Amino acid sequence: MSSTIRGFDDYLESLPPITFRRLYQQPATTLAIFRRMLPNLAKVFVTTLLYNETPIPQADLEVWARPESSREREDALGKLRRLFIIKEENGQISLDPAFKKNFRLALTGGGDHHSFGVPVRTPEKKKIDLQFLDQYAAKQFDTILHFMVQTASNVHPSEGVKHLLVTSGLMERHGGRSEPTITQNGFSFLLQAGNAQIWVLLIQYLEMSETLGMEKTDVLHFLLMLGSLDLGRAYAVETLTQTQKSMLADLRDYGVVYQRKTTSDCFYPTRLATTLTSDSSGLRSVSESFNAALTVHDPSASTTIPPAPSSLGPVEKGFIMIETNYRIYAYTSSPLQIAVLDLFCNLSSRFPNFVTGKLSRRSIQSAIKLGITADQIIDYLRTHAHVQMRKISVLVLPPTVVDQIRLWEIEGERMKTTTGYLFKEFATVMDWEETRRYAEELGVLRWAGKEQRMLFVTRHEGVADWLKRRAVKLQQQQQMLAAKKAAGT
Amino acid sequence: MDRVDATARYTAVNGDDKPSLLVVILDTNPFAWSRLSDSLPLQTALSHVLLFINAHLAFSHANRVAVIASHTNSATFLYPTPPSPASPENPDGIDATEDLGDPYRDANKYRPFSQVETAVHKNLQRLLSSTTPDSLAFLTAHNGGGETMMAGALSLALTYISKTCSASSLMSDPVSGPAPGASLDPTNPSAGTGVGGGDMTGRIMVISVSGDLASQYVAVMNSIFAAQRARVPIDIAKISGDTVFLQQASDSTGGVYMQLERPQALLQYLLSCFMPDPATRRHLIPPNQVNVDFRAACFCHKRVVDIGFVCSICLSNRIKTTRNILHFTVLTHTSHTHIYDILPTPNHTTIDLQTPPLPHFSWPITLPKALTFFFKKKTTIQTIH
Repeated sequence: MSSTIRGFDDYLESLPPITFRRLYQQPATTLAIFRRMLPNLAKVFVTTLLYNETPIPQADLEVWARPESSREREDALGKLRRLFIIKEENGQISLDPAFKKNFRLALTGGGDHHSFGVPVRTPEKKKIDLQFLDQYAAKQFDTILHFMVQTASNVHPSEGVKHLLVTSGLMERHGGRSEPTITQNGFSFLLQAGNAQIWVLLIQYLEMSETLGMEKTDVLHFLLMLGSLDLGRAYAVETLTQTQKSMLADLRDYGVVYQRKTTSDCFYPTRLATTLTSDSSGLRSVSESFNAALTVHDPSASTTIPPAPSSLGPVEKGFIMIETNYRIYAYTSSPLQIAVLDLFCNLSSRFPNFVTGKLSRRSIQSAIKLGITADQIIDYLRTHAHVQMRKISVLVLPPTVVDQIRLWEIEGERMKTTTGYLFKEFATVMDWEETRRYAEELGVLRWAGKEQRMLFVTRHEGVADWLKRRAVKLQQQQQMLAAKKAAGT
Repeated sequence: MDRVDATARYTAVNGDDKPSLLVVILDTNPFAWSRLSDSLPLQTALSHVLLFINAHLAFSHANRVAVIASHTNSATFLYPTPPSPASPENPDGIDATEDLGDPYRDANKYRPFSQVETAVHKNLQRLLSSTTPDSLAFLTAHNGGGETMMAGALSLALTYISKTCSASSLMSDPVSGPAPGASLDPTNPSAGTGVGGGDMTGRIMVISVSGDLASQYVAVMNSIFAAQRARVPIDIAKISGDTVFLQQASDSTGGVYMQLERPQALLQYLLSCFMPDPATRRHLIPPNQVNVDFRAACFCHKRVVDIGFVCSICLSNRIKTTRNILHFTVLTHTSHTHIYDILPTPNHTTIDLQTPPLPHFSWPITLPKALTFFFKKKTTIQTIH
């Protein structure tokens, strides 16, 4: 689940500074980015700087953190730098003026920006309740998932969704066949939690929107705003920009928003939308509401039973039990869940309300051949573990099973590849040594060769930043020395 | 094969990002605020505190907040609005007229922020208008008007934290899940989608303006020990006045104590020193703690003393101001007999004879630093039947 959230991080961090400057023009966006993207320590740094009119020395901020937490500190500062939230000049730190101004507005509620959505006072004739919205969201999203695994032939999402699935590489079209089929990426997509899946689709949508000539910042503003809206409230369409209005139609297909008619002048965010910018504890409720909805919408189950209200709440209700002997019992009758389980599990028998199976070396390795990682399988099992499993141990899954899945994965890979960046041609060993130490503190160092004076790191931004700052500092020192010398002579 | 490391399983379990519950206790003693009206009027202070609360809520979707007013003679919730029997049709404390506001104005503010603000303003207004000059005059005559119901507020805060945190960890019980429509209800701690399964961490933030609390010594100390047990840090922002016991409160619970040198800068203090939640504080060096005043108050006169006497059985401490000591023996209902040095004042003897001197006062096993004054035990114990 975390892998795709990181996906959104990476997407944001790849944006140019100019986009950030435009993003920070909206208070709602600054709030969402503050809440969603920053580690807690970085949030504290931001609040400290928020009402400081003068920049504060960077050294002050650094002594504030405990020496043993230097990794967290560097992580926080690095994040703030990459998102262009802080500015550094001559060792002084201050907040980006646009971010500062608009984040203050977000906290105080002043200004005239309407970035938190304009609620509609006069409700439509038919009352839209939460239960309906949840069902709607689940049905729409469900359609997409079902289409991907092709469990039922009668479900067809809209052309826009199909197009998105194909361009994102989750599905592919083969030659003359009109219907696309699922790819390896698609399989690993299925194993992710609900909120992460939505983000995968939305990031793809963002990338696609550029080719459609939509304004990227508009799209981002709208997506991040959705997270701050109230569930069960109607919001006005008229204040949205043209781009955002055209987005509504697509988001409706994903089940993120609901509109009664395409021409309706208000829209309702669903639970998928309002949890977009919440943290991991919010994610679970989504995946849970899906589980609930899946059983309700399942054609084989009795459709007359209305969903219990509590099942839509933030209660994690898993269905999978695993024993230490690798047997799996899954209390589900949803074809989708069974299809997902079938990816990495030898299913042996099916009963009206549950299926049994067994994890084996062959079943895990065949899943790994499909491009699914052991971590994804473990994450999936943990997220959907039965309540009873949680009661037994905080680890949820039996450790033997978890280790064995990892071992089975390793068997197939004699070589491990890490994508990263090589730093080379350090002028002196001292340069190399200091940089190595810094990279180690950051936790990004993979390999270091002293003879070759090379470093291999997984992320280069922090190290590159540090090298730049170090170069400036050295230069200043040299200038000062030169000045002293000149004064001396 | 060493890549499969058993320790990795455990590191993943203790998540750092638990949602946190902040209970703000606002001292609303009108005497103290009127003295402060030049440097920091109550209205300004309130807006600073509300901004601080908004920032806390901005940290995470699941973060919750409660505001308690510690008034001259009572402690009441400002947010969430306590359900009152008088207005059952409006249980969540949101004024019905609020919804009729300008929608465009509304769109400038994140909804949870405005809910807290409206409720706090309204309830504070109600509280202040219910404070009549007569009642204040009575208090002034009684004890100089320096009182604030801190002990009550601390207990309210602790009970609320305990209730909310246990409610969030019991979420696996489907009955306690929120009903549809609950996400708009601020009184329900589990409202919205935030609180899911995990624990919450609670902390108390006291904005204190008034002085002595000696008359509530026992109650305050008991609250402090309860907070210590429940691992609830108590942070103190001391704007004016001086209290011994609040220093001890923050010291023994691991909170932050700050005497604000410039009350005007309350906001900056709040946003930098008091902002981090307990998990984040592990990475930060806390602001320097001034020398903590560990003095205690005597049980008989409610006065802060430098030297006192502790009963070796019930651990109540007593004052000794005169050489003229009566040895007096008291029989408590737990049938242990002990001797005090008691002042020969008549009302004293009656109090001690009629009510046993706090037999159920529960002292934690680890004796707090609060008892660093002299210990002096009586060696002779007489028994009278």
